[in-house]
Amino acid sequence: MTTASPPVPARRVRADRRSGLRTSPVLAGAAVATAVITAVPLWYLLVQATSEGLAEVWDEVWQRRTLDLAIRSIGLAVVVTAGCLLIGTATAFLVTRTDLPGRRVWRVLLALPLSIPSYVSAFAWISWRPSLAGFWGAALVLTSVSYPFVYLPVAASLRRLDRTQEEVARSLGKNPTQVAVGVTLRQIRPAATAGGLLVALYVLADFGAVATMRYESFTWVIYGAYRAGFNPVRAAILSLVLVAISLVIVLAEHRVRGRGAAARVGGGAARPVAPIPLGPARWPALAGVAGLLTVVLMIPLWLVVQWLFRGDSGTVDLGELGRALGTTIGVSALATIVAVVLALPVGLLAARVRTRWAQGVERVTFVAHALPGIVIAISVVFVGIRLLEPLYQELPMLIFAYVVLFCSFAVGSIRASVEQASPRIDEVARSLGARPLEVVWRVTLPLAAPGIAAGAGLVFLATMKELPATLLLHPTGTDTLATKLWQETAVSDYASGAPYALALVLVAALPAALLTRGREEAPVS
Amino acid sequence: MSALEVRGLTKRFGGVLALDHVDVVVPAGSITAVVGPSGSGKTTLLRLVAGFERPDAGTVAVGDTIVAGAGRLVAPERRRVAIVPQEGALFPHLSVAANVGFGLPRGRGKGPRVIECLELVGLAGYDKRRPDQLSGGQQQRVALARALAPHPSLIMLDEPFSALDAALRPQVRAEVVAALRADGATAVIVTHDRDEALSMADQVVVLLDGRVAQAATPATLYRAPASAEVAAFIGPGEVVSGERRGSVVHTSRGELPVDVASRAPDGRVDVVVRPEPVLVYPPTDAVDRDPVDADDDGTDRRTAGASGVDAVAAVAEDEAPA
Amino acid sequence: MRPVRTIGVLAAVSIAITLLLASCSGDDSESLTVYSGRNQDLVGPLLEQFTEETGIKIEFRGGDSGELAAQIITEGDASPADVFFSQDAGALGAVSKAGLFSTLPESVLDQVPEWAQSPDGHWVGVSGRVRVLAYDPVEVTTPPDQIDALLAPEWKGKIGYAPTNASWQSFVTGLRVLRGEDGAKAWLEAFADQDPKAYPNNITVLDGIEDGEVELGLVNHYYLYERIADRGEADVKVRNQFMAAGDAGGLVNVAGVGILASSEKQEQALRLVEFLLSPEAQEYFANETKEFPLVPGVEAEAELPALASLQPPAIDLSELDSIAATQELLEETGLLTR
Repeated sequence: MTTASPPVPARRVRADRRSGLRTSPVLAGAAVATAVITAVPLWYLLVQATSEGLAEVWDEVWQRRTLDLAIRSIGLAVVVTAGCLLIGTATAFLVTRTDLPGRRVWRVLLALPLSIPSYVSAFAWISWRPSLAGFWGAALVLTSVSYPFVYLPVAASLRRLDRTQEEVARSLGKNPTQVAVGVTLRQIRPAATAGGLLVALYVLADFGAVATMRYESFTWVIYGAYRAGFNPVRAAILSLVLVAISLVIVLAEHRVRGRGAAARVGGGAARPVAPIPLGPARWPALAGVAGLLTVVLMIPLWLVVQWLFRGDSGTVDLGELGRALGTTIGVSALATIVAVVLALPVGLLAARVRTRWAQGVERVTFVAHALPGIVIAISVVFVGIRLLEPLYQELPMLIFAYVVLFCSFAVGSIRASVEQASPRIDEVARSLGARPLEVVWRVTLPLAAPGIAAGAGLVFLATMKELPATLLLHPTGTDTLATKLWQETAVSDYASGAPYALALVLVAALPAALLTRGREEAPVS
Repeated sequence: MSALEVRGLTKRFGGVLALDHVDVVVPAGSITAVVGPSGSGKTTLLRLVAGFERPDAGTVAVGDTIVAGAGRLVAPERRRVAIVPQEGALFPHLSVAANVGFGLPRGRGKGPRVIECLELVGLAGYDKRRPDQLSGGQQQRVALARALAPHPSLIMLDEPFSALDAALRPQVRAEVVAALRADGATAVIVTHDRDEALSMADQVVVLLDGRVAQAATPATLYRAPASAEVAAFIGPGEVVSGERRGSVVHTSRGELPVDVASRAPDGRVDVVVRPEPVLVYPPTDAVDRDPVDADDDGTDRRTAGASGVDAVAAVAEDEAPA
Repeated sequence: MRPVRTIGVLAAVSIAITLLLASCSGDDSESLTVYSGRNQDLVGPLLEQFTEETGIKIEFRGGDSGELAAQIITEGDASPADVFFSQDAGALGAVSKAGLFSTLPESVLDQVPEWAQSPDGHWVGVSGRVRVLAYDPVEVTTPPDQIDALLAPEWKGKIGYAPTNASWQSFVTGLRVLRGEDGAKAWLEAFADQDPKAYPNNITVLDGIEDGEVELGLVNHYYLYERIADRGEADVKVRNQFMAAGDAGGLVNVAGVGILASSEKQEQALRLVEFLLSPEAQEYFANETKEFPLVPGVEAEAELPALASLQPPAIDLSELDSIAATQELLEETGLLTR
């Protein structure tokens, strides 16, 4: 008897996913608008880079030195990303799936390095151990401040994991290690690669750590072109090379991420599963986590605290500190809200509409992320003064710059969390009479709330620490903790900046700690 | 009036023909089961009716309104076709009451209907719970209540019991049918489980390879399947070839009496021998296994057990190798 | 809808804060917007004095001199800046090359030595900063006063420097201008062979000398005097050696100002420039920031040699803008990431 079996393959899955939001032009339009906003630096870079003719671009790009710089930057990005993937995944696994003693405390502490600006950490390290200068110093600092980009999403993903798959694998005769590698690792792959992407782009764009550690990378040369060479054309050309590199990384990440992701089909709650007993391995594991935290958190913090008590620190104007603190929180909160609102349509679209143009829209928002802050700042200057002069160096323009810089944080985590929610749920809602936007509002957003909150936390943290764009675009007379810190340290010792550095780290620690809380941990009465 | 009328519905995914000129008519107030093996196009049919896919040809009409085809494509939310997916897909962020009330218009007056629907599915008093505090069967019943609440023209259930324990299934199934009947709802149940289809529905549509192989009452389907494939799919049995002469088929196993309703002409035929007249069932199992006999007008009348039924030899039209 | 409400509350709070901030920065027609590469802590009190005397308020926007130059060039004619106050001549030269400065009157330019002003009258230096050799007077009785003397074997492993410091890089750029690319490279290679110790900045170089890690340090002159002002002379061991006349190691860079041609407040801006060259301001630079006043007749602090006694190498400061090539050279000789 013939059976009707060639089950319709992947293509149908794709069609299914698309259907949920297909008919919302509002959403699509909003996503495109966000992409246009975040593409502002590209516009500037193209205009600026070609302002002296294409021959100039060609000459600048086809130099041995450009290649050298590319290799140096990529090398650093590769090493740091690999380190972050390793550390982030291992620590996430230890604190979510094993009986590691004190894991609840570690879980929070492990996110805290996110609150330390790379320039502070780098300065702390190099003033303590000057021999760290160069590649390994830069790698150390960048790994220690950016591994939470991997740790946080992987930990969240592990908590949400469909454990039946692991159980099935065990029942089929696989040992725990095989399960961890073959099943668990594959399920957390989307989260890990998304985090790895952020790390890689962060490293490409970072200036603070490489400059302090004196590792000559693309960013340093781009900054040099502005700071010392007064050559914006060269900076723009090199920035475009950086954009090209970042595009390759974004595309590669998309390949690696695979379609694995996706939702748990059922709406039921995840069953709590007994943590994996570490046995005698618990002590080495504990030592590893404690050692890691010593390096990434305790040492830099200890060094900053020491500056506080060093001779030159002078008196701290508490009023000024308070004002800077208020400004930092207010401006960062506003930037976060705007960035999240703008990122929502892009994240929703990227999660639900798997078409080429939707992915293109998402990628555009990521490209700006690999550009050094000064380039974004100058591009916003370029565009702002031409199109929105009345708002120039007013708050909206600064917020605009933050959105361009950090929108991708929110896009990434919104996409990931929407992908976790089954598109079937959206369909049920529509079948009950809810319009597409109503579905977004009543179902998708509340379900994605933990992811949105996580994205918001990342944007908030990054905004707090941001310096170059803040310096160029802040409303005259307002200072943030970062600009005050810069102002203090630019003239004299780090000692006088220490109160601002500490305030920054402490205030940033709160959202960083909150990022470790998932919805899964909400008490189920 | 029919609640759903599907005519000539065709859908391709790339080169694969998922649905091929499918016709289905669902009378208002009835329960229709769409049954077929996996890959037969059941889910595609559901998604086309609910509005999540665009048909390549054919029309879908809900009530008097054409919702797809003939140049129209009505959005899912305007079709009044509520779906109950596998495993319920409750909104995990909402309470049971909020889930059930989701499709009701905003404002006051939601409450009584929510309570009413929860009572219909036997979950009165569960309104404040969260979905993750419910068992699988309870989740499924809440999903049904949620679909019932806005009085849709049609409720479509997609493999609604597949995630439940086998032991739980008959009970939940009975409760669902009871709730649907009590609310006077029209329902289409998509399933791969022939027992489920035969025991729940007034009408069963057998989908094979994207085509409607037969649409009939359960009893007709069981006793007079339109083809050997339908016969084999719809119930256990053995295919034996033989030769029909009037009311008797001569086979290698002996002579078998034939249901007079069988349309197969005299000559070479395949015979499906159902186990019921051969095996002796323990009485408990029989409840589940019973074929359902329904009158053409759609009223529900269950026959009591297989004992005493004529020899259930279904005869297919001549498709055997000549 | 808990998340929605939370977002709503957050939005309200931040809008409130924002409005508060906005209300603080009042718009004043009698105000000058100054883009300053000089730190507010350093020049803020001086600018307050200016406001007190003239009633003209200062909208101070601090930043890195080079980045501010890039910003001004990007803003072009629409720049909100009236005055650009730069920490070094290179950034002023870049804005001047972009044609964005108006020409200063002779009466202003004439007040400072010719080497401390723009050749086309676009900017004027207001204070000088000198490269010196800081040394440990306990270990070193006769510190060298020429950079070539640093290449002697006795200094191997005993010199500190700050490779990322802009002034160090200006020094190397000056070296390239004075000795040509090959000459500069030869010196840098020999210097690298001395195993000099790299520090994050000038302050840490001085710390290194204090702590006995090194005996000599290539720094700017004023870090020592700031340290003395902070800690008292008795508690600071380090001393400055000023370089011999014409030696490349004794480069004098200037901090200076220019008026943006696009500014509608040329008159007020000129008053600020004149103020910065006034005896009052010049003394401020000498006493507070420990720099060299550039207007003759103003006395520097006691420990500073008179400006006239310095004989810096003959370099057009505007030529100090080819830092990219300098960084490349430092990278090549391994001095950047030591």
